[in-house]
Amino acid sequence: MDVIGYLGSGFAVALQPFNLMMALFGVFIGTAVGMLPGIGPVNGIVVLIPLTYALHLPPESVLIMFAGIYYGSQYGNSISAILLNVPGTSAAVVTALEGHAMTLKGQAGPALAMSAIASFFGGTVSVIALMLFAPLLAQWAIRFGPAEYFALMIFAFSTLSSLSGSNLFKGLIATIIGLMLATVGLDPISAVDRYTFGQLKLLDGLDFVVVVIGFFAINEILRLSREIGSVHKLSTELGRVMITLRDFWNSFWTMVRGSLIGFFVGVLPGAGGTIASFVAYTTEKRLIDREGTFGKGDIRGVASPESANNAAANGAMIPLLTLGVPGSETTAVMLGALLGMNIIPGPLFIHNNPTLFWSLVASMYIGNILLLILNLPLVGMFVRILRVPRWFLMPAVVAISFVAVYAVNNSPFDILLMAGFGVLGFLMRINGFPLASVILGLVLGPLMENNLRRALSISNGDWTVLWSSPIAIGLWVLAIASLFLPLILHRVTPEGVTVPTDDDANVE
Amino acid sequence: MNRRSDRIIGVLLLLFAIWYGYTALHLRTTLLTDPIGPKFFPLFLATLMGLLSFYLIFKPDPDPEWPSTDEWVRIVLITLTFIGYAYLMNPLGFIVATTLEMIALSLIFRGPLWPAIISSFVFTLALYGLFEIALDLSLPAGQLMKMIGLG
Repeated sequence: MDVIGYLGSGFAVALQPFNLMMALFGVFIGTAVGMLPGIGPVNGIVVLIPLTYALHLPPESVLIMFAGIYYGSQYGNSISAILLNVPGTSAAVVTALEGHAMTLKGQAGPALAMSAIASFFGGTVSVIALMLFAPLLAQWAIRFGPAEYFALMIFAFSTLSSLSGSNLFKGLIATIIGLMLATVGLDPISAVDRYTFGQLKLLDGLDFVVVVIGFFAINEILRLSREIGSVHKLSTELGRVMITLRDFWNSFWTMVRGSLIGFFVGVLPGAGGTIASFVAYTTEKRLIDREGTFGKGDIRGVASPESANNAAANGAMIPLLTLGVPGSETTAVMLGALLGMNIIPGPLFIHNNPTLFWSLVASMYIGNILLLILNLPLVGMFVRILRVPRWFLMPAVVAISFVAVYAVNNSPFDILLMAGFGVLGFLMRINGFPLASVILGLVLGPLMENNLRRALSISNGDWTVLWSSPIAIGLWVLAIASLFLPLILHRVTPEGVTVPTDDDANVE
Repeated sequence: MNRRSDRIIGVLLLLFAIWYGYTALHLRTTLLTDPIGPKFFPLFLATLMGLLSFYLIFKPDPDPEWPSTDEWVRIVLITLTFIGYAYLMNPLGFIVATTLEMIALSLIFRGPLWPAIISSFVFTLALYGLFEIALDLSLPAGQLMKMIGLG
């Protein structure tokens, strides 16, 4: 079957009323959490994971919803960036720069409209690219043995550690903490219990949901409790949320470049929307900022990062699904959720789950159209969400988190664990340890150990099996090379600019 | 510029790695199931962690901006409410415990008293309705509710 045939079957699934509803729900939640400063797509997803398990939702519906939250948040994050100068997520840092300058000039409406249109543009271009590229990758995905999987995971850890934080060593430490957390529980091969301290509840290992809700919901509450009293002045005078045809054509090539840059940055394992929007913006600045209007409210400066971060969100699905290598907190959590449903992202993912993959692609076309509607005519409604006071929003997030944790296995012990991980996550984030790496370690730890032990069982304890195939050697080389990538990136960025770290949940 | 935080964290991680490795060494292995067994992976992690902790001790980053005393008070208070909630959830039941938790947090976030009480109660009821009735996931009704005949 060709692409059109597959896509048709994908639409058949994505257009089922229930899946349409999930897509709408996903992009709506995505816009809302993306917009709210301090809350990001990762927070929305973690509290919904237990619900999807408890209700036994089919995997395609879950993936459609979670992906919707992820790319939907890339639409929403620009709203608060433009109106409040507070980016909803770090991927909108650059948008805030240019978009808020437009708001100050009384052009909030056109800025919001440009951002929605550029997001749609980037989203759509990248879905087309995703549709064409991912199956190609899947074609040469030859069967991976345990040794290759082990090398692939080393590669996942090294790319995420080197790209997601400011300090490579802290990224590696965070990964090892995650791997250590993963060793808690009964060892599946020898049935020896490890690090359970006699607690029966820990025999099954630490519950992924409890850890991520602690890390990403409770941690945020603790962090935001520091900011009490800082009030942002909300400009409600939106004006007409529309751009002129001239603005559109002026920004057209900017959006094309932004989308392509965003997509390819997103495809890089370990990179995400923040780096994408940053690279796209600096490229535009060099290419077309002849009158020096960038930074002073140039509409093209909104179009560029917004098309890029949306394209990156869709591009990020490629390493996530075809390699199992996430590039951000959100995609790391999505990986965990997929594994929890026994769906194993990896080289054989598209081959084994064609319906899942193609209904996701189809839902992205639909989701982007829904988002355009939500973000153009209905943007005024979303802006009202920004007025919900924090003293209500934060307790509400906590209450939802409690329900989510409680839904897992009705145990107050889990609430204590969640609080503990919240404090741990809070301390780690203050000190610059990337939480995405911990999550990846926790999620991949059992798989990594099992593959290592299976590989060595097959080879009767001969360690050279780990680097005996060309694919394994290639992955080892890439893994080591990626550790040096931050050094190179550091060299090529112009003076006086710092590349923000790709941290979906918040911005300091 | 102080660089104490990373040094302290480095030392703590080193101690943790030693404890973690020591525990792994003393795992009771019954029969040999595979060439490396359940001890190897934890020992490997402990070694790596030990080595990396030296990096933090000898090349620490500048200290981050730690919370002020005021901020610590709030952070500790919030954490205490979570611990309290874990212990009160079963005796008080979801509705009472969650309403109390939300009120406490609203006040810590400096919300006005009466709106905080009302919004907490209404939101808790809505959550309860959604999960218990619409989604059929059971939340504890609690001893208190049973005593007054509502559970």
